[in-house]
Order: sequence, then structure tokens, then C-alpha cells
Amino acid sequence: MEWLMWFTKFENTKPVSLVIFFVLFCGVIVYLFGSKQRGAQLESFKNIPLQDDDI
Amino acid sequence: MTTTSVTNTEQYNYDVIRKFAIMTLVWGVVGMLVGVYIASELAFPVLNFDIPYITFGRLRPVHTGAVIFGFGGSALFATSYYIVQRTCQARLFSSGLASFTFWGWQSIIVLAALGDVMGYTQGREYAEMEWPIDLLIEVVWVAYLVLFVGTLMKRKQPHIYVANWFFVAFILATALLHTFNNLAVPVSLFSMKSYSLFAGAQDAMTQWWYGHNAVGFFLTAAFLGMMYYFVPKQAGRPVYSYRLSVLHFWAIIFLYMWAGAHHLHWTAIPDWTSTLAATFSIMLLLPSWGGMVNGILTLSGAWDKMRTDPVIRFLIVALSFYGMSTFEGPVMSLKDVNALSHYTDWTIGHVHSGALGWVAMVTFGSFYHMVPKLWNTKMFSNRLINIHFWLATIGILLYITAMWISGIMQGLMWRAFDDFGNLQYAFIESVAAAHNLYIMRAIGGLFFLSGMVLMCYNMYKTIKSGTTEQA
Amino acid sequence: MKHDKIERNVGILIILTMLAISAGGLVEIVPLFFIKETVEKVDGVHPYSPLELRGRDIYIREGCYLCHSQMIRPFRDEALRYGHYSLAAESKYDHPFQWGSKRTGPDLARVGGKYSNDWHTQHLTAPRSLVPQSVMPNYPWLIKTDLDYSDIQGRMKALRVTGVPYSTSKAEFDKNVKEFGEETAKNLHIPDAEKNLIAQAQAGNYDTNPDKLTEMDALVSYLQLLGTMVDFRKYDDDYFAKFR
Repeated sequence: MEWLMWFTKFENTKPVSLVIFFVLFCGVIVYLFGSKQRGAQLESFKNIPLQDDDI
Repeated sequence: MTTTSVTNTEQYNYDVIRKFAIMTLVWGVVGMLVGVYIASELAFPVLNFDIPYITFGRLRPVHTGAVIFGFGGSALFATSYYIVQRTCQARLFSSGLASFTFWGWQSIIVLAALGDVMGYTQGREYAEMEWPIDLLIEVVWVAYLVLFVGTLMKRKQPHIYVANWFFVAFILATALLHTFNNLAVPVSLFSMKSYSLFAGAQDAMTQWWYGHNAVGFFLTAAFLGMMYYFVPKQAGRPVYSYRLSVLHFWAIIFLYMWAGAHHLHWTAIPDWTSTLAATFSIMLLLPSWGGMVNGILTLSGAWDKMRTDPVIRFLIVALSFYGMSTFEGPVMSLKDVNALSHYTDWTIGHVHSGALGWVAMVTFGSFYHMVPKLWNTKMFSNRLINIHFWLATIGILLYITAMWISGIMQGLMWRAFDDFGNLQYAFIESVAAAHNLYIMRAIGGLFFLSGMVLMCYNMYKTIKSGTTEQA
Repeated sequence: MKHDKIERNVGILIILTMLAISAGGLVEIVPLFFIKETVEKVDGVHPYSPLELRGRDIYIREGCYLCHSQMIRPFRDEALRYGHYSLAAESKYDHPFQWGSKRTGPDLARVGGKYSNDWHTQHLTAPRSLVPQSVMPNYPWLIKTDLDYSDIQGRMKALRVTGVPYSTSKAEFDKNVKEFGEETAKNLHIPDAEKNLIAQAQAGNYDTNPDKLTEMDALVSYLQLLGTMVDFRKYDDDYFAKFR
């Protein structure tokens, strides 16, 4: 379990986590806002709660 | 894209939701009443009456248990069952399992409260329940997970609406937190006493990983799920941006889990954990405010509803308090601020601006929308909803103002030096100085409690006029 | 991966959510169990004697941790008010930890030895008779209730399972003698628990009534131990700094 020590050093964790989070974040952003068509499809889901009205 | 099917209430299991809704109100009154009482004990210690069962140390877990797990928990069961059925257009897949979660959860709350007053406690905040109750929680929670996911799987709607994502994350995270924080070795099979598996610094980290994320997932993520359904419903318009809600979801569930150690700044844990936690706490501000903006902008173009609809007012003010306390939180997680604020009443004020302002207010708003629909009727009185709103708002403001003043005052008095480099105040002087503020806090709580009682009356009248038969 | 798969498939949603919520805990908590620097190496810290252990149980039972912290932070004012800042090593046998989160009353991490047994007994029974402005509840039942130590061995055995070095055999006892010294090691021997508990209560006379063994005896014995195990004169401050 010595390798866990590596994570306790800030000079190691800072850049690694920055890269991982940034890439993931960019992935999500590109997915959400990258394509107009997909965007429109996603936005259509927001009507789901309003379609169940029975009263 | 989405299928529109004509639905009627018969196809949904509303029975279990009605039961949970009623118990939410009951636990709300009980939990807040105990809260007002222990607040008064701190102002007037004679109220402890030398009775072991009602001393502050034993009643405080009763208060936190009844409001978080009784009131908050029952509200989440009720609204999550309501939302998952209506957004999936599918009935809960098992009535037996639904019923089991109801009776199981209610007995947990009762047993936990009894255990607390009898002195059976693990000595961990918000996880005081001893091991037999913890096992029962585990069983009920797995049943909840199975029921929720099972219902999602038989949905008629191809897309899972985002509110349900928040509920899934809340159920999974709570299971994870509960399991690891309650690892303990019982003294014997017939003993209510157990000792935690971990000790010292490791135990502290585990406990505050639990404590912080119980707030993050139980009291935040799950109630955001509630918000993403009931704000659009009550406003009669879809949420401002669906894509923002997806981003909000992933960001908040990822970031929250890192922030727990900010409860342990300057203690005997390694510095790096503390700094890491503070960094993530600051980052949390972004998704929190993203979600708040998303909720509030749902109303754009219909701002007049803020004036005309007291239910909308509850929901939007809840979001505002959410924004305020998710700003205050990161500030308090800065090490220098924390050095002053930690151990003081400021923390208590912060928790209550979140718990009363966000959790309770968004629950009230959602219930004023949901309960009439469950009983096929309209709310008995809009005027009483309005009065409730003002009682609750004034109560919160009194409460958090009192705690800000006493908290900062305590922090400053503890660290004050005189001209000779000696401590300026004895500890007891800071206790005496808080007396009037403790009275003010109890009065604030009383305001909030009376609003809650008023709500119960309004709900009673509503339910009496309604019917559980399909119209 | 296509995101609409996530939206359409509960399984994938669950897996991704689990990954997202597990990362933080894994990185922050798991290393603490393996890193040697988490807990300082100091002499003197030892597990509780049977009487102190029962006292600690009562401390937890009454919810003392809800108003009293046991964690002194490294600030000048706290050093003056409470003493040397707390070390992780000082709570390494604490199941559960009792660092607390609120100081409605003062910190108790080093309350041991600061007041007499008489004072504690009187203060716990009626705090306002000594500190008029106190808001602490009275605990009059502590001095009236006989201490129940019938399951003391069970309690020590449970703690032994969690890793506290209470001894059951001669070999374990000898190991404790080496590590903690003979006096302390005797108190950690489970088969002698009742005998040791009674002996310590009689020798200490914590509740100022030598004829009765009460809950007050146990609680005061615990309070008098708090923060006294490490002799800070033996270390200079720089030694502890490197563990933080």
C-alpha cells in the first residue's frame, strides 16, 4: 500500500487531478453543448414533468 | 421524442405516499418541538429538570434524528415515490416493498428516539443509532433502492428525468456512507453497546466524511431532485435549462464527497487532507449556484407568480436560502475563517440556514403542491399558506441572526488578549454573553414551529375535504 | 460513450454515479489508514483502565461530546487556555473518537488534573453551585447510581477485536508490560478487569465517598486522565510539526 503515499504529495495530486477533472469536465461540456441537434433533444426532456398532468 | 400517454391516478401507488406525507408532518412538529425545547435548555438550564432522559445531551440527537431522518427522510420517501411514478408513468413495482419501507422507516425513527433518551448511543453525530437500528436501516435502505430502481426499469418513458438521477445518487451515497460510518463491534449479541471499528484520526475522518455527505446527499442532492420536479410543476413551465441540470448533477455529486474534512481543520489530521477539502469546498460553490440559478430562472417570464402564488414563494425563497448557505459554507471552509467560526454557534446558524431555509422550505412548497393532488382536492386555505410563509421566514431570520452574532462573538472572545498578553476573557464569560442570543434563537425556532403547526392544520382541513377515490 | 445510453440505462447511471461518489472518500480517507505519519510516535499513550473505560462510556451516554470538544488546535489562545495542542496519537485508542464539533462548554482534552475530585463531583452534580453562569445540566444521578460493571470484560473484549491491546494471555500481558510498563499492563489484563476496576476506584476515591462505587467514580476517573498521558516536557515542538 506504499503507492498510496504518492497521493499525499501535493506536487503529485494537484496536476494529476487537474488534468483528470478538466478532461472530464470538457467531455461533459462538449457532450451537452457541442451539438445543436443533441442539445435540442436534451432540452425536450425538460417537458417530462409537465406531460403527466391529469387534473 | 417523449411519449405522451394519458394517465390517471389509479395507475399509481399513492397510498404509500399519503402515509409518508402524513408522517412527514408529524415528525416535523415533533422534531422542531424538541429543537425549540433544547434551544430553551441552553438559555434556561433549569429546563433540564434533573431528569436524565430530557437533558440536552440526550435530547439533541432526538432533535437531529427526528428532523433529518423523520421529517426530511419521510418527505424524501413521499416525494421520490411521487416523482418516480409520474415521470416514468409507471406504478411502483411492488406494493409490499413500498409498505415495508414505510413501516420499516417509521420504526427506525421511533427506535432511534427511544434509544437516544435511554442513553444508547454510538457517540457519533447524526449517526447516534446503535448497531441493531443500523442493521434495520441497512435492510430498509436496500429495499428502497430495489424499489426505486425496479420502478425506473419498468418505466414507459424512455428517458429518465433528471430529478430521478438525484434520487438515485442520494440512495446510493446514503447506503455507502451509512455502511462505512457505522462499522462497529457490539459488546455482545444482547447488548445495545458497541465500539466503533476505527479509532482517533481515522474515525474522525470517517465520521465527517459521513456527516458532511449526509448533508450533501440526504439534505441537498435529494432535495434538489424534489426541486427539479416541483418548481417546474408549480410554475407551470419547464426548468430553465435541462443541459445545465445534467451538468449540475455530475458536478455536485462528484465534488461533494471531497469536502468532508473541512469539518476537521486545524485538528490532528494531516494538513493535506484539510487543504484538499477546503479546495473542493470552494469549487462546490459553482455547481451549487448553477443549480440555484437554474431553479430560479425557471420562473423567468412569470415573475408575477412570486407575488400571487405563496407556494412558488416558498420554493423560490428556499432556493435563495440554498444559494446563501452554499456561499456561506465555502467561506467557512477557508482555514482562516474556520479558525474563528469552528466550535462556535456560527456553525449551528449555518446548518439551520440550510436546514430551515432550504430543506424545510422546499419541502413545504412541494407539499402544498403535492398533498392536494394526492387527495384529489385543493388546499383548504391559501391565506394560511401565506401566513406560514411569513412565520417561517421571520423564524429563520431571527435564528440565523442570533447565531451569527453569538458565534462571531464567541470566536472573538476566545482569542482576545489583553495588553499584557494574557487571555482577556474566561470561557464562562462567553457563555454568559450568549444568553440573550440563545433566547432570541429559541424565539426564532418558536416562530418556525408555529408555522409548521399551522401547516398541519391547513393540511388536516385539506385532507378532510378530499378523497382518495379516483374522481 | 453516448450520453443518451446513460439516460436510458439505469445500470450505467448507477455505475457512473458510484464512481463519481467514491473518488473523494478513497483518496482522502484510505491513505490515513496506511500512512505511518498520520499518528505521531510518542511515549505514554495507553488504553483505558476498566474504570476509565466505563467512565468514557458514561461520557458518551450522556452526550457530553455535543457541548465539549476534545481537540485543542495549534493557536496561541488555545495553548494558553487549554494547553499543548492535541496529537492524533492521544486518541489512537478512542473508539469512537470524541473530538467534538462544538464548544458550548470549554474543551476537555486536557482537563485531567486541573481540578480536584471533589470539584468534579460537586460540579457534575450541580454545576451552578460552582460556576453560577454555567448552562450545563445537573447530573445528580451519577453519584446515586451504582456503577454497573457486570459486562466490563465483554466491553474490553469487543475493543480488543477493534485492535486495542487488552490482554487475555500471559504472552500478551508480557508484551504489554514491555510496551506500557507493569503498572499499566496490569490494568489492561481482561481476566482481572473487575478486580482492577474496584481497586482503582477505592484507591482513587473519585466520588469522595469511599464506601460506594458509583458512576461518578468512573466518569471522574476518566476526566482526570484526559490529556495527561503524554509528558510534553520530553519533546520539543518541532518534533510534532513534521506529522501534520
